[in-house]
Amino acid sequence: RGLGVAAGPPSTRQLREAEEAASVFQYAGKAARRKDRVFVWGFSYSGALGVPSFVRPDAGWKKPRRIQPTPYRLETEEKISSAACGYGFTLLASNTRDITKVWGMGLNKDSQLGFQRSRRDQTKGYEYVLEPSPIPLPLEKPQQTRVLQVSCGRAHSLVLTDSEGVFTMGNNSYGQCGRKVVEDEIYSGSHLIHQLKEFDSRVVQVVCGQDHSLFRTRKGTVYACGWGADGQTGLGHYNITSVPTKLHGDIAGVNIIQVSSYGDCCLAVSDEGDVFGWGNSEYLQLASVTETTQVNVPRHLPFKIGKIKEAACGGTGNVVLTEEGNVFVWGYGILGKGPNLIETAVPEMIPPSLFGWSDFSPDIRVAHVRCGLSQFAALTNRGELFVWGKNLRGCLGTGRMEDQYFPWRVTVPGEVVDVACGVDHMVSMVRSF
Amino acid sequence: LNAAPGRAPRQRVRFLQAPAPGGGGAVELVAARVPVLADHPLVRGPRFRKLKIGAGHRLDVKASGVFVLGIGHGNKLLTELYNCHLTKVYTVGGLFGKATDDFSDTGNLVEKTTFDHVTREKLERILAVIQGTNQKALLMYSNIDMKTQEAYELAVKGLIRPMGKSPPIITAVRCLQFALPEFQLEIHCLHETQQYLRKMVHEIGLELKSSAVCTQVRRIRDGVFTVDDALPRTQWNLQSIQEAIWNCQLKVETELEKTL
Repeated sequence: RGLGVAAGPPSTRQLREAEEAASVFQYAGKAARRKDRVFVWGFSYSGALGVPSFVRPDAGWKKPRRIQPTPYRLETEEKISSAACGYGFTLLASNTRDITKVWGMGLNKDSQLGFQRSRRDQTKGYEYVLEPSPIPLPLEKPQQTRVLQVSCGRAHSLVLTDSEGVFTMGNNSYGQCGRKVVEDEIYSGSHLIHQLKEFDSRVVQVVCGQDHSLFRTRKGTVYACGWGADGQTGLGHYNITSVPTKLHGDIAGVNIIQVSSYGDCCLAVSDEGDVFGWGNSEYLQLASVTETTQVNVPRHLPFKIGKIKEAACGGTGNVVLTEEGNVFVWGYGILGKGPNLIETAVPEMIPPSLFGWSDFSPDIRVAHVRCGLSQFAALTNRGELFVWGKNLRGCLGTGRMEDQYFPWRVTVPGEVVDVACGVDHMVSMVRSF
Repeated sequence: LNAAPGRAPRQRVRFLQAPAPGGGGAVELVAARVPVLADHPLVRGPRFRKLKIGAGHRLDVKASGVFVLGIGHGNKLLTELYNCHLTKVYTVGGLFGKATDDFSDTGNLVEKTTFDHVTREKLERILAVIQGTNQKALLMYSNIDMKTQEAYELAVKGLIRPMGKSPPIITAVRCLQFALPEFQLEIHCLHETQQYLRKMVHEIGLELKSSAVCTQVRRIRDGVFTVDDALPRTQWNLQSIQEAIWNCQLKVETELEKTL
């Protein structure tokens, strides 16, 4: 524009030319990948969330955060493929071939996170680990073995590898680590990590109950060890077992495809869609087959609700997912059908409209169910996370401190792939948009 | 309207003088029905001099679609319909690649971005998240105590709705068309303004790591009134208006009875 031309409001042609001349910004290319993230929420003083600034703030004026009520992103070095929440501690495992495959944080008073050498005193270990710290596993081929899955109980943890069996660490006062009980053993600061290899075939799933451990092999058999006073080992007696022993009862000869336990009750799902249970039944978990409060042999639960795909056991309530995508709950506590349903021995269905199903979006279904001690979590096929149950120290992640009597969405910035529930905290693996 | 036949004039009984049937000169009073003079059209004047017309939910200058008006007694029905808090449905058209200051394609350009990484799947994922967070807002602003059995039952049926003032809430979103760079969404919402919908299009663009502007906002449903009931510009005459009111009366009454 010259000096002789009057300046007025820009004409349409000038606007269009200015627009075409503007530079184009690129924020994401065609090859932009979705990132995998980990979100944690719940009670933080035990260190189980893995964020040290919640417990020991980095600036003097900041206050420590006792509870993280909404999902908080946890930075991890590797992509986490499996996570498990125990009673005040968390284990994160990655599928990598690097030397460091498992990280742990939280309570370590029974060496459930292995030996974490203290920097102040090289002979002692940390009792509380505030940050995800690598767990040294005694692998024979550390650069070839992959960690498939981790599981945590009250004071012990199990790590499943693809070629070197199962590693157990932590409290062994009931034989839950699969080795002989040593009288007056001191578990704190212990370097001992036991390796279990003697099973009839490769172990494909490990599950920790409160003080017992369950192993499921590729052939569909289940082994158990640990405390059995409620019959949760399912071996026909109420004693301690310190060596993993095969279970019989109604699951002998049945191909089990999933096992679940968190408290003192256990559930197993077979490939034909039947569910079997054993263990504690004080809260009517197994009341459909027996009146006794402890069942020490696996019993078939004759529910007529359809073919069952997945089951999850909590402390007092159980939940199953059928092939059609319906969720059934039974047991005691806040089951998810309003404040009036406190206990039931027969499974009750949670209406799918509570999970976002409507005439507008009829293809939403629940893909996975998980249980904490008194909370339930459900993942839909759209990647949404629904939680309900007792909101102990903010573990539901809803942002409120009240108990939730029916499924409620948790806002997570991403598509939730998996979630692990603990007593008072939860960890979820999320893919970004 | 004034030319239509009005009310018939009132009649009253008056005693008129009429010649007696007997001899001449004597008059007697005979009762007769005569129209009241005060009701004569020339005395009364035109029946309607002004009409009270009220408007329903606001519609922007740049937006189009169903706009509800109430005439006379209909204004009271309008208030009642407002208190029902029914959802409105919009078709919103958007364009990727541009960001403007007032979120529509006629504003001043702020930024241009690439958009070839955007796919329909990513868009639907974002829409699912929007629906999820708005579902939570729906339950939170409805002011029902979540701990009661009645809250659970309403949530199962999907009837929980904020019955008072609340920020804009979107109850459902769906992608109707997707042809880069354009896309079209169908949005069901409550208590919103059209600028809020344009801002939402802009935010969707940001979430997808690109930018978007809104090209079209069209309301296709406002509570019980749909585009089929609405009158286009060519039909703004008395006959069509009367027919339209007649057709919608039943729907409005049933909706009001159901909710209030």
